[in-house]
Amino acid sequence: MGAEPIISLRDVTKVYRQGSVDVHALRGLTMDVEAGEFTAICGPSGSGKTTMLNLIGALDAMTSGSIVLEGRELASLNKKELSELRRDRIGFVFQAYNLMPVLTAYENAEMVLWVQGVDGRARRERVMALLEQVGLEGMENRRPSELSGGQQQRVAIARAIASNPVVVLADEPTANVDSETAETLLELMEELNREQGVTFVFSTHDPQVMERARRVVRLVDGRVASDERR
Amino acid sequence: MKILRMAWRNLWRNGRRTLVTVAAMTLALWSMVLYTSLMEGMLGSMETTLLDVELGEIQVHADGYRERPSIWERIEDPDALLQALDETGLRSTARLLGGALVASGDVSTGALLKGLRPERDALVSEVHQRLDRGEWLDPADAKGVVLGYRLARTLAVEVGDELVALSQATDGSMANDLFRVRGVLQSLSEETDRATVFLLEDEFRNFFALEDGAHRVIVRSSEGQDLAVAAGLVEQAAATSAPGVEVRSWRDLLPGLANVFDSAQAAVQVVAFVVYVVIAILILNAMLTAVFERIREFGVLKAIGVSPRRVLALILVEGALQSALAIGIGLVASLPALWFVTTRGIDVGGLGGTAIMGVAMDQIWTGAVSPLTIAGPVFILLFVAGVAVLFPAIKAARINPIEAIHHQ
Repeated sequence: MGAEPIISLRDVTKVYRQGSVDVHALRGLTMDVEAGEFTAICGPSGSGKTTMLNLIGALDAMTSGSIVLEGRELASLNKKELSELRRDRIGFVFQAYNLMPVLTAYENAEMVLWVQGVDGRARRERVMALLEQVGLEGMENRRPSELSGGQQQRVAIARAIASNPVVVLADEPTANVDSETAETLLELMEELNREQGVTFVFSTHDPQVMERARRVVRLVDGRVASDERR
Repeated sequence: MKILRMAWRNLWRNGRRTLVTVAAMTLALWSMVLYTSLMEGMLGSMETTLLDVELGEIQVHADGYRERPSIWERIEDPDALLQALDETGLRSTARLLGGALVASGDVSTGALLKGLRPERDALVSEVHQRLDRGEWLDPADAKGVVLGYRLARTLAVEVGDELVALSQATDGSMANDLFRVRGVLQSLSEETDRATVFLLEDEFRNFFALEDGAHRVIVRSSEGQDLAVAAGLVEQAAATSAPGVEVRSWRDLLPGLANVFDSAQAAVQVVAFVVYVVIAILILNAMLTAVFERIREFGVLKAIGVSPRRVLALILVEGALQSALAIGIGLVASLPALWFVTTRGIDVGGLGGTAIMGVAMDQIWTGAVSPLTIAGPVFILLFVAGVAVLFPAIKAARINPIEAIHHQ
């Protein structure tokens, strides 16, 4: 504690319009995330976990409040700046892996570096190191359809950390894999967090994930109900 | 490079759809190249028939002749005019025109007799090369005449048959004579086919008791010479050698046909465009389906920071690759077809002399090949495919990442 937060949410609200009804997904949510944290966001369905990750990830706009990422107020950024922020400073891991099916494991992991304009040799070195790190050496030429769910999620993690982002946002990263695979994925994320200081914020329902998290934030009805650090 | 690779692989995710789209584009291109070639060939042949065989680029008549054609309205000293034209370097010939009743056996019909000097006329007109059967006029065969294709059929005459002509001579006497059919022309134009009899100038003069003058002087411009410039030269020559005449280019004489030639190229493009619109709908449908199938992927690309421009480029490149495939295959497939229509052609003789605005098509309809034969259809295909693919591409580029990622 005491370190400067890399993400700061203040009184964040998000209201969706569903037909003629306003749905309050977040109701004045306030919390900070510090560098190097391994944070699980949990809570019942509809508590606002995914909405919160979408807002931090600059994928959606809040209704009111303030979100500051590395000192930059997201509400003040235009679409292009938000896109560049996502590209350079945020890594995403999705529940359904969401890899490009026509690209190999190597090419998927390389994608963000290519978008950033990193030169070919540097990309190759970085991606090969990443694939080795996530336990996929020798599988770089396989397409997602030739990989298991766990292996696909490893590729997604490699893609998420390829650009050395300030935070990796993972939306239920173990929801689509069996418990054994979930365990190995968690070990991988923990290792990346511990050894490389990658900050993880993930939403989850999985008690196994919550057990491993060093900080568990419970959301209820769009508000922080509890915030436990271990 | 990565976009190209992704686009190429994306195309083969649903290979059958891609093949159908490319096949339709290929077929459209192939048929449009062939159509353009045949149209260019037809127009070229019509222009040749019109200018080289019938009209020449410029005609000179006595003032008022065109409004009320009459044997008495003539250029008084055509030889002086021909000589003046020779001096300008323009090829020219004089023709004499007079109406008569021609008959063979029990059949008779009205006809236009055209008197000419074969040697001089051959410098200007290719009509002597367009014989269907028999031979062209020969000064050694004074009574030999050459008939239009349909006139011969109407009179039921063949080469060697006799033909009677009746009219009123310029001296008021009854003109009548017996001629022998020496040749029958191919189908050339409505006027020539139905009602023209070519005969030697001296025989025409004898028949009509016409000592001097001519009704029409046909002038050919030099290769590539501007029509207005040539007409100006003819006017200058006529001003001194044959005052009181009217000089008209073929465009003035047949403005409707001139418009047809001018607008024919545009008409080819319009037909091509219509064919391609159908193809565009197919491309649009295929690309829209491809985009809807991959909405999630576009959402992920946007989420990880791929710019809308790059997403747009990805779809455009997919469209461009399909177009490139279609152009490659279509052009290769066009080569044997083009070879066939340009060297062998299509026999339209069975149609009995097809004419467009009075100008007959050749019996063998051959195609022509110019840079436009290929470039026109290719350019329109690229344009239409580009437009068709733009909408799905913009749609993909503007996708909201959250909605797309959660798209079912």
